[in-house]
This record gives sequence, structure tokens and C-alpha cells, in this order.
Amino acid sequence: MNVTAKKPQAATTRVLSYANALLETMDGALAEHPNVFIMGQGVDDFKGIFGSTTELAEKYGAKRVFDVPLMEEAMTGIALGAALVGDYPITTHIRADFSFLAMNQIINLAAKYRYMFGGIMSCPTLIRVVVGRSWGQGAQHSQSPQATFAHYPGLTVIMPATAQAIVDMYPQIINRHPGPVISIEHRLLYNLDFTVAEGHVPLTSYVARPGRDVTVVATSVMVVEALRAAQYVQDTAGIDSEVIDLNSISHPDWDLVAGSVRKTGRLVIADTSWLEYGVAAEVCRQVVLRDPSMLMAPPTMLGMAPAPCPTAKSLEDIYYPSQHETVDAILTQVRGADHGIDLPTERSMTEGYRRFRGPF
Amino acid sequence: MSEDRELYRRLFRTALLIRLVEERIIELYPSDRIQSPVHLSIGQEAVAVGACDALRPDDLVFATYRSHGFYIAKGGRLDRMFAELYGRVGGVSKGKAGSMHLSAPEVGLMGSSAVVASTIPHAIGAALSFKRHGNSRIAVAVFGDGATEEGVYHESLNFASLMKVPVLFLCEDNGLAVHSHRPVRQSYSLVKHAAAYGIASRRLDEGWDMLAVRRATLEAAARARAGEPFVLEIATARYKEHVGIGDDFHFGYRLESDIDAWKKRDPLIADKALVEELTPAIEREIEQAVAFAENSPSPSRAELLTDII
Ligand SMILES: Cc1ncc(C[n+]2csc(CCOP(=O)(O)OP(=O)(O)O)c2C)c(N)n1
Repeated sequence: MNVTAKKPQAATTRVLSYANALLETMDGALAEHPNVFIMGQGVDDFKGIFGSTTELAEKYGAKRVFDVPLMEEAMTGIALGAALVGDYPITTHIRADFSFLAMNQIINLAAKYRYMFGGIMSCPTLIRVVVGRSWGQGAQHSQSPQATFAHYPGLTVIMPATAQAIVDMYPQIINRHPGPVISIEHRLLYNLDFTVAEGHVPLTSYVARPGRDVTVVATSVMVVEALRAAQYVQDTAGIDSEVIDLNSISHPDWDLVAGSVRKTGRLVIADTSWLEYGVAAEVCRQVVLRDPSMLMAPPTMLGMAPAPCPTAKSLEDIYYPSQHETVDAILTQVRGADHGIDLPTERSMTEGYRRFRGPF
Repeated sequence: MSEDRELYRRLFRTALLIRLVEERIIELYPSDRIQSPVHLSIGQEAVAVGACDALRPDDLVFATYRSHGFYIAKGGRLDRMFAELYGRVGGVSKGKAGSMHLSAPEVGLMGSSAVVASTIPHAIGAALSFKRHGNSRIAVAVFGDGATEEGVYHESLNFASLMKVPVLFLCEDNGLAVHSHRPVRQSYSLVKHAAAYGIASRRLDEGWDMLAVRRATLEAAARARAGEPFVLEIATARYKEHVGIGDDFHFGYRLESDIDAWKKRDPLIADKALVEELTPAIEREIEQAVAFAENSPSPSRAELLTDII
């Protein structure tokens, strides 16, 4: 599948998978900045974090790209120590769930260092965490902790939804972002091809598809889903959806979101995590605080069922919102529950999901 | 004066400065001008002073909430420390750090954390960086005996040994973690345990002796500088309560007599003549620092939301 977030200019586009975008930016960072190094479990093995660090250890040597033992907390602390003396460490967690072992370093130290020391300390570093989904990832390999991390001031939390977002944002971050950044990458995106245009994805939100009738605010893989749903409702019902990629969870562009809702009057929010105390709730909070009268109907929210992720395929299929539900949510916002439009039959979400063959 | 005598005087003066600073904190504390939890190191000064004197100025120290001693011994400015304790803009961190998070990066004190053991891996990260860039600096992780019970300490030892980074693990063993004694908390001996990771170690029982601490640190630091991580455990004694300015012997978890023997050997008590000789000038220095703090304004509202990212 080839997903286009922004209208490409024919002459300057290329097709790039999410995984290759990651590999390209990791390679670029090592080549351009002698102070960059990458450490994490398996970064130098033949799988190279799902292809995002493959062969970089051979190319740059074991001093720049190296494996570490099972030591999530210490690894993050070591990254902070190196950052404090001017290096730029990039650390990886093949599942976001494992970063929970490093919560102490991430929340109690990284997030606080600059502020707590009155601006004289800083620990710029990139922490890459991957969200798993499907092939029985289950309860402890599928969690999407954006709301948790974004809750703590001091952290920059992004969720790149496309290869474009990776190639634009990662160099900006590694070149000059002063603080710790957590990038939540979605495993289902890795295998997708994207059309990458010249352009610029800001370290905040942006419009992935302009439209008039309804605003869909989405994160990560749900941006891809929202774009597909937007196409479907355009084709079947002539509904023109505006899709906003929230993109930065810690520093979204709320004016952009509010401006869009003011224009459309209708809001659908699609996140990759639970709704309770989550990103969707925050989007509602921001909109309502600005002007609740912008909304012509209560917003619709799509997220995971309020349970740990089940492993059984039959349950997992209904645990995540499907394309079917995403389309229905948009149609219902605009036309009401009795919209009468046929829904797409597929329950599972992306083509990537169908192509995804595990085991990891 | 012999070289040894001069060295002794230098170390003694810094140790006395630390003690008198903390005694001044005890005097000031009831006035509520310092509104920050304070973990005093009275009794433990010889460790900070002996260890820091053995380091090069550009070696880095990563410390804990009990860091007044290391801050001063590493050469941090006293006036800015008092201003920090007072929560004033003139403080090292504009008052946002307080006593538990002292730092002085310009002299190599790279921050202190109030979460036990959490800065141990930072020292390794810095040491890793030194090794990558091929310079001869070392990083020192300072922590208490209690910190070695945390998982991150073990992760850190293992990694330091695998990577052969120039790091010195410096344990201040005052035998206590808050109110609990080491034997009920630890099933291992620190130095024997280090050996399981292939890390060389040494325990120094004469932690009151600044010169002995200095010698032990010099040796340990030389090993670390050669890329051999080293665990140096130094026995010491905390005279005051865990946090705060009081004595807590009446709670019965420890006895005053437990530290009597230590106090007898404490040079800051035993060497009365030198204390008397050096005190007046030190007192004046402390007065100036306190005055600096008193005259430094509180941070403005604008400071609340600065330096977050
Ligand atoms: C992770 C963590 N757990 C518990 C505490 C509460 N606490 C503060 S100091 C301390 C004892 C630490 O003892 P030790 O490392 O020996 O240092 P000392 O205070 O004796 O210098 C404890 C349990 C904490 N601050 N951080």
C-alpha cells in the first residue's frame, strides 16, 4: 500500500517505506554527527530493529552502534549521562512496553533535568519505542504509551505516521532539539510504502488532508486509517473530511485543531491507545475550553477497547477499531446514525495488517 | 612545613568548611529561610574531601541528595549554594534545585538526584563518552550503601564491566538507609559482589582519615582511568538524622555510642588546635555566602515556565 499524506509534487517525490526512512535517518545521523551513537538490545543484529539499524554497526563500528544487555533503566540513564557531556545517544526499545522499565530515568530524570537544574543541564536524546500490533502481540507487547509520556512536562513525544514524518522530523530533532524526545513508532507502519515529497513536517500537528465537512484528528497508524476512510466517504457519500495528523503528542498545534473544528463543526478523534484519560480526551478538553459552541454534535472517539490487549485473533480484531468503524464514525458525524451508506466489509485495518506475518 | 602537612591542612580546611557550612544550615533552618529537605553529611566529610582531592578538575562526579560535601569538595561556589538552598535566583539552578539537586557542572559536579541510585548509570554514560572520544577523564558515581540494593546498580556494574569504561563506583557506607541497618537489607558483601562482575574493588575502613581516602581514591581512579571500572567502598558515619537537622538517637534505632568510637577518630573533633586556627576565616566566608543568599531575590513568575524542554 502506498499512502500519501500530502499532495506530492510529481518531480520531487519518491517512494520510501517507513522502515527505510528510519534506516536512512539513522544512517544520516551517524554520518553527519560524530557525537551520535545508537544503543539498544539487538541494534547490531541481522534484524536491526525491524530493518531500521541494519548494517549500521558494520558501517560505523561497535563504538557507534552497539548491543546492550537487558538493562532498560541503566541504558536510559547511560544515555542521559552521555548526553550531559555532549554526546547524542539514540536508544531503542523493540516494544514500547519495555520502556516502562526505564520510566524512572525517563520521567524522574530526563524529563526534569533541564528545569530542575535551572537550565544548566540538558540531555538531548532520542528514545525510539515501537508499538506492536497483531500476530498475537498480546497485552504486554502492544501498549501505546503516548498519553503517559506526554503527561509529564519536559518530554517531547511524537508519533510519526509516515515515512515523510520520519525523514523530516528525525534530522530536526537530532540536529537541534534541546531535550529528550520519545518517538513512538508503530510496527504496522514499518512495512508500508509512502510517497515522500519535498516538504516539511513540523514538530507539531499538520493537516494531512484538507476538507470541509468533518475534522478527523488522528495519531500514528490511525492517520493512515483516517486517510483511507476519508477517501471512502468521499467516494461513496461525497463527504469531504479534513484529516489532522496530531503528530506531536506533547506539543500539538491546538490552534490548527480548533480552527479546523470551527470550520467543520464536527470532530472524530482516532488514537492508537485507550480513550480513558488519553489523547482523545485531551483533544476534547482543548476544543471545549476554546469554544464548545463550535461543535454541532458530540465528538466521536475511536480507540482500543478498555481492556488489556487480547492475544486471540478473534478478540484482537474487535479490540482495535476497524476501517468499518472509522468510516461509520465519520458518516455518523456528518449524516447521523441512519446515514444509509454501505460500510467497507473488511474488519481488520490496514493492508499492512494483512501483510503482517509476524512473528514480531 | 612538610608536603604532607600542607596536604593535610588543605584537606582539613575543606572538610571543616563543609562541617561549618552544615552547622550554619542547622542554625538557619528553624528560621524557615531554607525550605528544602536537607540531608546533612556531618561525619562523612572525609570521604568527599579525600575523594575529590584525588580527582582531576575535569573528572566528573555524579552524586546523590546528600551532596553538600561533594559540591564544596569539588569546588562549587559557596554563595551560589546557599542561594540555591534559599530558593533564590542567585542559586546554581536559580532556586529550582534546592539541596537535593545540587550541581556545579563548571567544576564537574554533574547533578544530584533524589531518587536513590538513579545517577549511577549517568556516570557510566559519561565514561562511555570519554572512552569513545579517547580522552583520559573519568566519571565517578557516588552513592550510599542502600543504593547498591537497587536493580539499576547491578545493571550498571554489568555494563561498565562489559564495556570497560573509565568509571569509579564510590560507595559511602554509613551503614544505614534511612533507619534500617545494612545487615537486614543486604545478603551480599559489596566488594565480593563486584568480583562477580569481574570488577576490582576495595573496602577502606578508615573513612575518617582524609589522607587514606585520598590515597585509596588515587589508586582506584588510576585503575578507572586505564579503563578498569573500580568499586571503592568507604566506611563512614552519619552523625545526624537521615533528613533534617536533628539528632535522632532517642528513637532507638541506633545508639549514640555506636558512633562514639568514630567521633574519637574524627579529625574535625580531635584536632582542636587546627579547628580553632581555621575557623574564623571560614566563618567569614560562610557569612558572605549567607549574605549573598539573603540579598538574592526570589525567582520571578516568568521563571515558572522556563527551561522545560
Ligand atoms: C528509589 C528510591 N527509593 C526510596 C527512596 C527513599 N530513600 C531516600 S534516601 C534512602 C536511603 C538510601 O540509603 P543510602 O543509599 O545508604 O544513602 P544514605 O542516605 O545513607 O547516604 C531511601 C530509602 C528514594 N529516595 N528513592
